[in-house]
Amino acid sequence: MSTFLWLLGPPLIGALLAAAVRPYRPFVGWTNALLSLLSVGAAVALWGHILAGDVLTSGPREFLRADALSTLLAFCVSVVGALAAWLGPGLGGPDDYSGPQARRFRIFGNLFTFTMLFAVTTNNVGFMWIAIEATTITSAMLIPLHVTKASVEASWKYILIGSIGIALAFGGTVLGYFDFVHLAGRHELTLNWTVLIALAPRLHPPVIQLAFVFILIGYGTKAGLAPMHTWLPDAHSEAPAPLSAMMSGVLLAVALYAVIRWEVVVNAAVGTRFTDSLFLLLGVLSIFVAAFSLVVQRNYKRMLAYSSIEHTGLICVGLALGPLGTFAAMLHLLNHALAKSMMFFLAGRVLHRYRTTEIDGVSGLLTTMPWTGGLFAAGMLAVIGLPPFGLFISEFALFRAGFAAGRPWLMGLVLALLAVAFISMLGHTNRMLYGAPAAGTAVGEGSAWPLVPLGMCMAALVVLGLTVPAPLDTLLQRIVEIAGR
Amino acid sequence: MDSVFSQVCVLGSSLVLIFGLTLLWRRSVTAYITAFQWQSIVLSGLTAVVAYFGGDHELYLAAGALAALKAVVIPRLLRRMEHRFAAARELQPYVNTPTSLVIAGLLVLFGYAITRPLVALSQLPTRAGMPLAMGLVLVSLFVVISRKKALTQVVGFLMLENGLALLAVLGTYGIPLIVELGVFLDVLMGFLVMQIFMYQIHETFESIDIEQLNRLRH
Repeated sequence: MSTFLWLLGPPLIGALLAAAVRPYRPFVGWTNALLSLLSVGAAVALWGHILAGDVLTSGPREFLRADALSTLLAFCVSVVGALAAWLGPGLGGPDDYSGPQARRFRIFGNLFTFTMLFAVTTNNVGFMWIAIEATTITSAMLIPLHVTKASVEASWKYILIGSIGIALAFGGTVLGYFDFVHLAGRHELTLNWTVLIALAPRLHPPVIQLAFVFILIGYGTKAGLAPMHTWLPDAHSEAPAPLSAMMSGVLLAVALYAVIRWEVVVNAAVGTRFTDSLFLLLGVLSIFVAAFSLVVQRNYKRMLAYSSIEHTGLICVGLALGPLGTFAAMLHLLNHALAKSMMFFLAGRVLHRYRTTEIDGVSGLLTTMPWTGGLFAAGMLAVIGLPPFGLFISEFALFRAGFAAGRPWLMGLVLALLAVAFISMLGHTNRMLYGAPAAGTAVGEGSAWPLVPLGMCMAALVVLGLTVPAPLDTLLQRIVEIAGR
Repeated sequence: MDSVFSQVCVLGSSLVLIFGLTLLWRRSVTAYITAFQWQSIVLSGLTAVVAYFGGDHELYLAAGALAALKAVVIPRLLRRMEHRFAAARELQPYVNTPTSLVIAGLLVLFGYAITRPLVALSQLPTRAGMPLAMGLVLVSLFVVISRKKALTQVVGFLMLENGLALLAVLGTYGIPLIVELGVFLDVLMGFLVMQIFMYQIHETFESIDIEQLNRLRH
C-alpha cells in the first residue's frame, strides 16, 4: 500500500496545496518540486519489487497493481513529471508567467501527472479509461495558459478530438465487457485486467476483435497515431514548454499502454496476427505522415511534435514484431520519454529568447546560447537516431527484430521513411544553430541552472546508448513475458 | 413479459436514435438542445425500465444520475451558452441535408452489420436495440465531423456519449456502478472544460464558427 501512496500522493498533495494557497507563492512550486522526487523514489521502489520477482498489489480486489509494464510507465511519468515540476513556472525566477498562471500550472500539471500515474497502476480497465479521459481534461486546461487565437484553437481541437477518441475507447471497453459478461456472468471483478487475461482464451473472436478496433482507434487518437493525429502538432506547439514535454514524453506512451493492456487480452483470445496487422498498418502510416510533414516544417515546436508521431509509430511497429520487437519498443518508449521531454524544455528556452516558434526566426543559436544550443543539437542527433544515444540502440534492436521476424520489405520502407525524417530534421536544425543571430538578440544563457536536469537527461541518453543496464534489461524482459507472447 | 420488455427496448432505442437524427435536418441550435434533452430523458427512462425488468437496483441510481446530469444540468448550461452567444442558426454545414440523411441511413445499416456478432451472442431480451445504439454512435460521429458551430459539435459529442451509454445498458445491463459514476464525473468535467473553451473562442474570435479556427496548418 505505502509504495502506491508515495507514488500517487505527492502530485495530489501538490495540486491541493496549489489550489489552497491564493494568491500564488513560490513556496508552493518548491514544495511541489521536492514532492515530485518522492514519486520518482516510489517508482524506483516498484522497480525494485519487480527485480525481486514480486508484483505489488494493493486495495480491495487488487485495485492497484504494478507489474513490469506498469512500473516502466510509472517510472517514465514520474521522471518527466519531476522535470516539469522543477522546470515549470512559479519557482520565483524570471519567467513568462504571472502568478495566477503559475498557480493554474501547479494545480492542473499535478493533476495531469496524478491521472497518468493512476492510469498505469490501476488494475481495473474501467478506471484506466476514466483516468485517461481525465488526462485530456487536465492537460487541456493548460494549453491556453497564454490566451492567444492559436492556443485557443489548439485547445479546442485537442479537447474535441481527444474526447471523441476517448469516447470510442469507452465503446471498446463496453464491448469487451459485454463479451466477458456473456462468458462469466456479471461480476464485480470482471473489469479487472488480471481477471480478463485469465478468461481471455475463451472469448468470442468476432466480438473481442470489434472491441479492439474501437479501443485502438480510441486510445490511438490520444497516442497520436495517424490518421487520428491531427490534434497533436497543434496542441504540442501551442502548449507551454513543460506541458508539451509531458504530453510528448509520456502522455502518448500512457495511451499506448492502454492499447497494450487490451492487446494482450486480444492476443490471448485470437492469436497475435490480428493485432499485429493493425499495429503495422497504423504504425507505418504514422511514420509516413510524420516523415513527409517534417519535410515542409517551418515551426520547430511542430517539428518536434511530428517527430513524436514518428516515434509513436515506431513503437507501434515494434509491438507487432514479436518478443524482440516488444523489447525494442519498450526501450524506445523510455528513450523517447527522456529525449523528447528534454527537447521540448530546450525549445521552451529558445522560444523565451527568440520570441518566435518559426525556424527562420531563429539563427545563431550556438552563438547566443552555447549550452542550450549544444544540448539542442545533441538532442536532435539523439532524436533522429544517431549513436551514441539510446534511441539508436532501440531503433537498431527494432530493425533487427523486424528482419528476424521475416519482414525485410517492411523494414526497408520504414528505414527509407526514417531517412526522410532524418535529412529534413537535420536541415531544419542546422539553420537554427548557425548563422548570425538577428540584431538585438541577447547573448548568454540567462538562468543557467535549468540546464542541470536537462544535462542529466542527456547523460542518461548517452548511458543508454552505450549499454542496457542490468536492472533495465530485467525489467524489459519481464514486460516481454507479459506483452510479447 | 419478456416480449413486452424487448418491445419497449426497441421502441426506446428507436426514439433515442431519432432524436439523434434530428441534428441532421434542423438548423437551429435551440432545436438541437431540446432534442438532446428529450433523448436523455428517454435514455434515462429506458435505463429505469431495464433496471425494473432486469432486477438490477444499482441501475436505478445510474438512471437517476443520467437524468440529473444530461436531462437537467447540461441542457441548462447549453441554453445559457446559446443565449450568450446568440448563435441561433447553424451555418450551411459541410454536407447538405439530403446527403446527410442518406449517409446517416447507411451508417445505421453499417451499425447493424458490425453489431451482428453481438446480437448473435447475447441472450438478453434487450439485444435487438444494440444495432440502433451503434447507429447513434456512428451518426453522432458524422455530425461532429460535418458541422461548423462549436456548440453543435458539443451536442454531437454528448449524443455520442448517449449512444455508448445505451449500448452499455442494452448489452450488459450497464457497467459496474462505481465505474459508471466515474464516467459521469468525467462527462461533466469534460463538458465544463469545453464550455470554458467555448467562452474563450467567443472572446478571442468574436464568433463560435470553427471555420475561423484555421490558423494552425501543417
